Amino acid sequence: MIWKLAWRNIQGAGLRSLINIIIIALVMIGIIWSQGMYEGWMRTAERESREWLNGDGRITHKLYDRFDPFSWDKSFEQIPENIQDLVDKGTAVPVLITSGTIYPEGRMISLIVKGIPAGQQFLKLPTAVLADGGDDIPALIGSNMAKSSHLKEGDIVTLRWRDMHGAFNAADIRIAAIMKTPYLEADNGQVWMDLERLQLMKDAPKTATFIVIKDAGDVPQTSDAWTFESIDFLLRDMHAMMKTEKTYGYLMFALLILLAMIAIFDTQVLAVFKRRKEIGIFAALGMTQKQIIRMFTAEGMLYAVFASVAAGILGMPLFIYFGTVGYRMPESYQDFGIEGLSEAVIFYYTPAMIISTVIIVVVITAFVSWIPTLRIARLKPTDALRGRMG
Amino acid sequence: MKEILISTRKMTKHYPAGEGKFTALKDITLDFGKGEFTGIVGPSGSGKTTLLNIIGSLDTQSEGEVIVLGRDISSLTTKESAALRSRDIGFIFQTYNLLPVYSVYENVEFPLLLLKMPEADRKKAVTEALEWVGLTAKIKSRPGQLSGGESQRVAIARAMVKKPHIILADEPTANLDTENSMNVLQTMQNLNRDMGTTFIFSTHDAKVIGFLQRKITLVDGMVASDEINGAAG
Ligand SMILES: Nc1ncnc2c1ncn2[C@@H]1O[C@H](COP(=O)(O)OP(=O)(O)O)[C@@H](O)[C@H]1O
Ligand SMILES: [Mg+2]
Repeated sequence: MIWKLAWRNIQGAGLRSLINIIIIALVMIGIIWSQGMYEGWMRTAERESREWLNGDGRITHKLYDRFDPFSWDKSFEQIPENIQDLVDKGTAVPVLITSGTIYPEGRMISLIVKGIPAGQQFLKLPTAVLADGGDDIPALIGSNMAKSSHLKEGDIVTLRWRDMHGAFNAADIRIAAIMKTPYLEADNGQVWMDLERLQLMKDAPKTATFIVIKDAGDVPQTSDAWTFESIDFLLRDMHAMMKTEKTYGYLMFALLILLAMIAIFDTQVLAVFKRRKEIGIFAALGMTQKQIIRMFTAEGMLYAVFASVAAGILGMPLFIYFGTVGYRMPESYQDFGIEGLSEAVIFYYTPAMIISTVIIVVVITAFVSWIPTLRIARLKPTDALRGRMG
Repeated sequence: MKEILISTRKMTKHYPAGEGKFTALKDITLDFGKGEFTGIVGPSGSGKTTLLNIIGSLDTQSEGEVIVLGRDISSLTTKESAALRSRDIGFIFQTYNLLPVYSVYENVEFPLLLLKMPEADRKKAVTEALEWVGLTAKIKSRPGQLSGGESQRVAIARAMVKKPHIILADEPTANLDTENSMNVLQTMQNLNRDMGTTFIFSTHDAKVIGFLQRKITLVDGMVASDEINGAAG
């Protein structure tokens, strides 16, 4: 009965109801859309990270600190035998890291030199170009690196490095290919070459700094020198960044919700004031205060329910577009080096996301509709009928 | 002796006024019998609305006793008084007080929804009530599209649809022209005669007096006279 009456009131209020419903629907669309964006972004970044460099986690030398080049001189060791078995099976890829300097056109650029087997298959890095031998050493760099170092395909440049005994060496490397990778950790400030070649250059055969693992369920026991880093651990920076982004996002939603709620609150407060005569009539006709309050609250909830439906209908094309075509950040943003943004982000929506948004909005709308009705409880029917607040 | 539906005993109503209080009704002792068609007349401010509100349990007296349908209304909880209004008392107001967003049909249906009457019975009752007031052609209209006379007839249908024991009408003709006033009064009189519903209404409209069976005159919150009008009916 209460719902029937609430529905009648909404119908009766016509345009005002429609505006309310559309406002709430837009807020819901905004919330789901941006949540879909974050989720899609995170998934894209995670996928890229897995595909390009991190697999399902990696076994890393304990002393390795990717922010400390001095650690790189100590943080490699012979690949343990049981892990070498995985490498031979093709389910693990060893990477050796060292620091180096190149001298293109008289300039000096410090960089990270990474050795990876030219024949590896499961990481997306186009390492095959590293195999082709000859006199000079084929090297692979990313497009960002190419841009910042002004190197082009075919350029030959001198590389200086230190071997494991601390002696400096130099050799010419040839830029065999410039790759476009969305995974910037495989691009900025780095040069890739064949693992065996780098091992030779360092005079450290069969060594690696970390070994990328294809399947985390498959990680063998290793000596104390090594530690397994899960993909979640490797993605912690990205997750942390995403969390900050999301926090800003939530602040935005909070603002959006607030605006929508002000609109509803306003209508409801107005309703309680404007409709106080009506409330008096309801009371005179024998409605209890409780029923009147429930009816107003039900009105608010119905707004939210209709808004959910409207959001589904109005938002569907948008959701589908961004869920299939996705969104590509403008080029200028890509230079910030934000992971996962250099590829189109395919938005991803989860049922939990949608359901929680609907529930939150319905609950808040009901609450906001209910608050003003508390005044009704203090209203005497006779005062209400006179159109006065008690 | 007729069955007594409403009785007041030395009933007084004070309103707070500034520092002190204002006495709107003083020592009202009245009985209203079943099937009465009674007018409460008196100048503006004499306490007519206050009296009807108390009888209708929209308000409570300050002193004395008010018994409506066997219940002491000052002892009712808000829920009980709401139930009393929803089942047994119909209100008609000077300004009609129809629910503006509802259609005529929905306005008349409303009290039955509160009583949780099944759909089929509701439909029958609403149609019947609109027949009593001659407005079956307007069921889809909104109150805003009706004339004053039509609005008041919808209000009568809404008050009568649940077949209450008592109808309280506060100056029902004050906003109507003579023709519509006569029409509304005639409608009420017919319902009173055909259904035995007790009608108590306030008025200071001379045209109305001729319709009354009983005329209670209030002056300054006190009963100045209480006469049976032989010519009525
Ligand atoms: N809620 C109220 N608060 C204070 N005074 C009131 C209130 N309602 C009515 N009164 C006063 O009580 C007196 C009787 O009012 P009312 O019953 O409305 O008279 P009538 O209906 O005969 O015109 C008037 O003087 C009016 O000003
Ligand atoms: Mg009055």
